[in-house]
Amino acid sequence: MTDAFELLMSIGEAASIYALVALSYMLVLRPTGIINFAVGEWALLGAFLSVSTVVTLKLPYPLAVLLVLAGVGAIAWLTERLTIRPMVERAAPLMTLILLMLAVDIVYREAAVWGYGTANHFAPMPFGSGRVEFGPFGGSTQSLVVIAATVLVFAATWYFFERTVQGKAFEAVAIDRTVASLMGINLARVTALSFFAAGAVAGLAGMLQAPLTTASYLMGLPLTIKGFSAMVIGGAGRVEGAVLGGLVLAASERLVLRYAPVPSAFAIAIPLLLLIIFLLVRPTGILKAKGAA
Amino acid sequence: MSALLEVRNLTKRFGGLVAVEDLSFDLNAGEILAIIGPNGAGKTTTFNLISGSLKANAGRVVLGGIDITGLPPHKIAGHGIMRTFQHNMPFVSMTVIENVLVGSHRMMRTPWPALMAGSGMAEDRSARVRAQELLAFVGLPDYADRSVGELSFGQGRLLETARALAGRPSMIMFDEPAAGLTPVECQRLAQVIRDIAAQGIAVLLIEHDMNFLLPLAHRVVVLNFGRKIADALPATIAMDAAVIAAYLGTARRKRARAG
Amino acid sequence: MNGAMRTATAWIGGAALLVGLTYVLGGYGLDIYRKLLLTATLALSYNFMFGFAGQIALSHYTFYGIGAYSVTILMTQAGWSLPLAALATIGISAVVALAVAIPANRLEGFYLALATLALAQIFIVALVQGGEFTGGADGIFGFKSPEIFGIPLSGTNFVIALIGLFLGTLAVLQFLGRSYFGRACRAIRDNPRAAAAMGINVARTNIIVFTLTSSLAAIAGIFYAFADRFVNPYVFGIEPMFLLVFMVIVGGTGRHAGAIVGATVLFLLPEFLGDIVGRRYILIYGLLVVLALMFQPNGLIGLYDQLRHRLARRP
Repeated sequence: MTDAFELLMSIGEAASIYALVALSYMLVLRPTGIINFAVGEWALLGAFLSVSTVVTLKLPYPLAVLLVLAGVGAIAWLTERLTIRPMVERAAPLMTLILLMLAVDIVYREAAVWGYGTANHFAPMPFGSGRVEFGPFGGSTQSLVVIAATVLVFAATWYFFERTVQGKAFEAVAIDRTVASLMGINLARVTALSFFAAGAVAGLAGMLQAPLTTASYLMGLPLTIKGFSAMVIGGAGRVEGAVLGGLVLAASERLVLRYAPVPSAFAIAIPLLLLIIFLLVRPTGILKAKGAA
Repeated sequence: MSALLEVRNLTKRFGGLVAVEDLSFDLNAGEILAIIGPNGAGKTTTFNLISGSLKANAGRVVLGGIDITGLPPHKIAGHGIMRTFQHNMPFVSMTVIENVLVGSHRMMRTPWPALMAGSGMAEDRSARVRAQELLAFVGLPDYADRSVGELSFGQGRLLETARALAGRPSMIMFDEPAAGLTPVECQRLAQVIRDIAAQGIAVLLIEHDMNFLLPLAHRVVVLNFGRKIADALPATIAMDAAVIAAYLGTARRKRARAG
Repeated sequence: MNGAMRTATAWIGGAALLVGLTYVLGGYGLDIYRKLLLTATLALSYNFMFGFAGQIALSHYTFYGIGAYSVTILMTQAGWSLPLAALATIGISAVVALAVAIPANRLEGFYLALATLALAQIFIVALVQGGEFTGGADGIFGFKSPEIFGIPLSGTNFVIALIGLFLGTLAVLQFLGRSYFGRACRAIRDNPRAAAAMGINVARTNIIVFTLTSSLAAIAGIFYAFADRFVNPYVFGIEPMFLLVFMVIVGGTGRHAGAIVGATVLFLLPEFLGDIVGRRYILIYGLLVVLALMFQPNGLIGLYDQLRHRLARRP
């Protein structure tokens, strides 16, 4: 029984990280149509920044979180302003924008290596590395923290889109850019904000991940792939898709690792295989977008 | 003698909406046929059904005795029906003459593995000669090596035409050819279309501009709400009460309601 | 001198230059030269798929690896002779490429990039977990150089063979690029809908291009196996693949000369800047690509053309 609960916590923790990364993709994809190669590296920057603020500068954790969110958000915003915006104004084809994000992605990673080197950086768990027990159930504190933070983010996101005017504006842009701009919505502002938010969310994912696996210059690409898989599986049309996709992906990974007779290194192949299968069989994902036929 | 193109009972539904219903008409070689009708009459849908962009729910399209209903666009082109695009769709990374050469794709016979070894040069050379002739035919003889960005919209339309002709089609479809052209450019294009028909190629045009099509078309088919309401000579159509009602009907009803 | 004679002279001259370099360079220089020839060959075939046909696939190094590993395994473990192993390898890579190309044809842009990226990752995992069969993380090494008609294919002889590979690949791709097939590829890249209206079978063309260029990469892989007589999984990973994309973009997509220039510049620069810049050359390359995409989409070769134009206009 406790064993099953442990497994659930482990799945929940992994699903949370994937869901956050998938959300980051969606925040940029829906209003602009751009698929952001650099998402994993934003998480990486978040992870390294968290090491700097928490370990090097020894700042209190809540302040560190704010700095990471603002920092990665600002970097994302800056990237949009300096590279994407001018290209969109010149009506550059989508392929060019995708390649641009790929190049920018490499620049981020190498900049991180320049600043932090290629060694793994240890990031401490903010509430200690202990465990929390309620009766027969128990799980690591960090898992709980990750899941709680993710639930908070998704609740805030849901509230934003469903209950605020700005959220509706965002949806309008996602549905039809031309009509939205004709209705007076400032496209540039929405795009800039969506990049900022996407950066902040990805940065948070990296910050939550760092205590679990250390902050390493190689952590970006797996998150880029897994986050994308989660988004494709769950369905890119709805925010709930990120959560569902994250859960399906994390569950598949952990269950295969636990019960299937394959060496653990093959675990990396699971999100890849799921991604390929879904892209071929059901590219719109499990959940259809609202109002889709 | 049977017509080159035979459209029989063509029907297309989008959900509950019937865009084209039980449409039948013929098109003969060397004939210029214009399809007209108010907005939403089903002209574009008909165009797309013949060109292969849309699949019909019922009916047949037969070209030279061959049933081409439901074939994808590249196969339709392979059978000899070429088309132009209303908003001009040139291949922007290529020069003008290279664009025309793409149009001759279906005529090329060298299999691609042989191309790797360098054969097919002779075929390419004669295609190039023909492409230059076509550019002269439409009125762009000196533009061969220019980039497409240098062409005006009207010239771009001529390029579309030359490109379509490069495929040695038995039939060309023009999608609103007069749209966006100056009166002088319209005259030029009309003459080119007449010259095309004179060579025995069947011409089908979707058009709104009466001044352009009435002197040009040999025959006019009028659609309204997806059905054919007339199929006659241009002069007859211009006088036809039903046609006038279709075009003016909405305006009269609006005035009646407001008055 | 008419056009055909000029082309022939260019080819003979070029070949002579390349061969001459072989005998001038020694030791370390020759090693660099070997790697450069292979990289330039890969850049040519990749550029055809990426620049001409507009397919962003990230599996090129995977097929390079399939070529290298297949020929190695067939020769060392199954004891096959070189010609037989090479033929079988080409067959295997063509089949795998088709198996990837047919479903991948339905994907576009980022989706194709990520699906092929996933494939590349799976390949590495399979190699590393392959145990005895693939040599695992250490790879397979120490096998003999093959012989052609009794002449051992090592040292300068091997480099001559590489020059042949490079020029052969260039010739094939040049012929293809200039033909109606090459135009069809570019038409598809520019506007697939208009291309179809011209009678081009877009799906079939894309599949042919992917399969062909991936097979060319595999053939280069066969040569690679004998460059160091050592195959190792990490040579065929994501890093060199990204670098290849950069080479093609910085050099100038869609032009064979661009691929060659890009490969040469980006491959040789770290050799010369080596200790000063260390690992940071990747950062510089990333920035160069951003600059190229934003301000000079025709790459270095585009710059060269502009310069030539400007000089030609001077009295």
